[in-house]
Amino acid sequence: MLTRRHALAAATLPLAAPALRAQARYPVPTVTLVTHSSPGGGSDIFLRELIKHLQPVMGTNFAVENVRGGSGATAVARVARAQPNGGMFYATTPTYIQTTLLSRPEFGYDSLDPLSVVFLDPEVVYTRVQSPFTTLAKAMAAAKANPGRQKWGAANPASLERIALERLNRITGARAAVVPHEGGGDLMINVLNGTLDIGIGEVQEIRAQLDAGRVRLLGVLTETRLPDFPDLGTAREQGIDLVVTKFRGLAGPKGMPDEIAAQWSTALATVLDSPAYKAVFSKESLVATPQLLPRPAARSFTTEFAADIATSLRELGVAR
Amino acid sequence: MAALFSGDGLVTILFAFAGCLWGIFGGALPGISPSIAMALLLPFTYGMDPIPAIVLLASVYVGAEYGGSIPAILIRTPGTNASAATTIDGYEMARQGKGGEALGISLISGLVGGLFGLVVLVLATEPLARVALAFTPAAYFALAVLGLSVIASLSGGSLLKGVIGAGLGLMVATVGTDPVSGVPRFTFDSPELLGGIRPILVMVGLFAVAEMLVQIGEPPWAKAEARDTRLKLPGFGMMRRLFRAQAIGCGIGTFEGVTPGAGGTVAAFMAYNEARRWSADPDAFGKGSPEGVAAPESANNVVTATALVPLLSLGIPGSNSAAILLGGFMVHGLTPGPLLFERAPEVVWGLYGGLLAANIAMVLLGMVILTPALWLVNRPKPYLIAAILCLIVSGVFAIEQSVFDVGLVLGIGVVGYLLRLAGVPVLPIVLGVVLGFMLESNYRRSLMLSAGDHAVFIEDPVALVLLLLAVALTAYSFWSEFKRKT
Repeated sequence: MLTRRHALAAATLPLAAPALRAQARYPVPTVTLVTHSSPGGGSDIFLRELIKHLQPVMGTNFAVENVRGGSGATAVARVARAQPNGGMFYATTPTYIQTTLLSRPEFGYDSLDPLSVVFLDPEVVYTRVQSPFTTLAKAMAAAKANPGRQKWGAANPASLERIALERLNRITGARAAVVPHEGGGDLMINVLNGTLDIGIGEVQEIRAQLDAGRVRLLGVLTETRLPDFPDLGTAREQGIDLVVTKFRGLAGPKGMPDEIAAQWSTALATVLDSPAYKAVFSKESLVATPQLLPRPAARSFTTEFAADIATSLRELGVAR
Repeated sequence: MAALFSGDGLVTILFAFAGCLWGIFGGALPGISPSIAMALLLPFTYGMDPIPAIVLLASVYVGAEYGGSIPAILIRTPGTNASAATTIDGYEMARQGKGGEALGISLISGLVGGLFGLVVLVLATEPLARVALAFTPAAYFALAVLGLSVIASLSGGSLLKGVIGAGLGLMVATVGTDPVSGVPRFTFDSPELLGGIRPILVMVGLFAVAEMLVQIGEPPWAKAEARDTRLKLPGFGMMRRLFRAQAIGCGIGTFEGVTPGAGGTVAAFMAYNEARRWSADPDAFGKGSPEGVAAPESANNVVTATALVPLLSLGIPGSNSAAILLGGFMVHGLTPGPLLFERAPEVVWGLYGGLLAANIAMVLLGMVILTPALWLVNRPKPYLIAAILCLIVSGVFAIEQSVFDVGLVLGIGVVGYLLRLAGVPVLPIVLGVVLGFMLESNYRRSLMLSAGDHAVFIEDPVALVLLLLAVALTAYSFWSEFKRKT
């Protein structure tokens, strides 16, 4: 059924294409974007916002499907089994790579083909306003001066954030206690009540406390400063060689034709450039990565990222 | 508040009713927890205005926490974690032919709890938020220990078997990603187990599936058996008798609601325990005491309001349900937190008004639904059991579209059946599963923070008070048990 409709769409293509737009018509009428996040979760909100802006550019319908369970493995399996006709994609975050490394799912991250990496989620280091630290450099200097005395918090035990703090430990020799929590809320309480000296997380997670003037940003772990926090120095600027990249992108089943991938990267580039969408994602402090939109770039980025995180998880003794 | 009575206000009230109705059904279906019921509705709120959207979600929460007690009373199958404690006396009352009365008590106690919680939420959000912030990992550990101290009264006859049950529950809670090191534990390389075994699955298996297995082995109930077929709301005399139990439920529910992570389940168990301790007739507990229904039911409905304290004032969701509600806020570009009251006061007040409407809706809908529900469970047993098993399997499957979860629940059900034959009480197991992660993760976090020094648990004032309270309550339970036996 699906294939016949597909053929029909292909047959009408030469007639319709020149009249409608310069870009070739998208081969399927409805694209399903699958996320492991539950409705209202990070990736879910991200996708629903994105499709509002993608719909007019690509001229097809979009649906978001929440496939929860198995820490992302169920969603990956769903997309890996789909036909590579551009009808289904998975919204990637580092989670799908971590799950593959921590367990042995039937379909791992490498059974999908990365399509595009759209955004980087900047990680920031923060503390409560009562803290004596005003910059990451000062916090690290204090940690160096009192080895083994500082307490640092990350949201989850097998997360990029924890890996980042352990790297900070190695860089500075602070031997700080890195305390993982169960989600950002737990962590925030312990930063606010002074149990922890510093915490690490995404800007969106701490936005409420930041706006209320209860926490202070110490540094951001990106290559360049964030546009909405121009005064916030990066870790590198503060003399600490640490960059953490958390990403959001799309991946599809293997064997998808290059033309479809090219259509996506053009469409995504258009959307990222549109002022309406820019307003949305800059409010979330997301950093657009136009250079990672083409499939080859997304592929090599994902491979490198996975190798890097595999090393880190092995060093922590978490993965084999 | 005047806006509530304008056109928009009426729409909001309508959504409060709709949400509450959906919540009662979701809560009553085993497997659909309040957070799942909310998550299923969330996508429909994307296109709505912020106030009706948030009221709709919060009303689902109110309705679901109440709805869970209906099957808990009628078929000994709690629909939600927090209604597990209600099975003890609620089902006993139903067996004695007082099911309609038990449903009436749970409905009115839920209303009392919900309204009390709402008053607390409106008046005391700011000071209660400070309570939430005073909880360090050591204090959370102590809170979990305090929760475990109710094992004795959940154990029925044998304390030893109760402790075995709680031990089993704590062991189940160790499955999944290690809370500190991140190493996968007892997951056998299966990604389904990385997130651990969710308490709702354990509960559905131990209660719902096991109960059906027990029922299958028993003869069909006689038509002549005197069973309530109508809902019976408590009268003035009964309300006076329930006052103390409801007050205890309200107090404990307030406290547990504002501390993120504790939640309605622990509140209901503790309220049950304390209501029994302070009751004029503690021996009636476990044998169909109306107070044994009133205390947990008021406690878990207080939590539906007070769990919003850390969410609204700090932006920190204290439970899965609060996390879904947070998602609802975010979708509409609102960030709960210290500034919400200044930036969007109309949303906060709209939510308060909506919660009031949801609580009233709960009573009205309950009065309409409960008599048919009583009729339904009096249908011929083979049909009933088959229908319930279908609901269980489809409900569990609906959560994450996972066949693995269905297998897990059925397996746990068989284990629950065997445990029941062995006389091991199941409530301590549920308590263990609910508290295990909180207990372990905060114990280990505390020791990381103190560099391995156990003094952290007595140096933290909140932790010290809670631990002393746990010791005192446990000692008192043992003492009164000892006194009763001699």
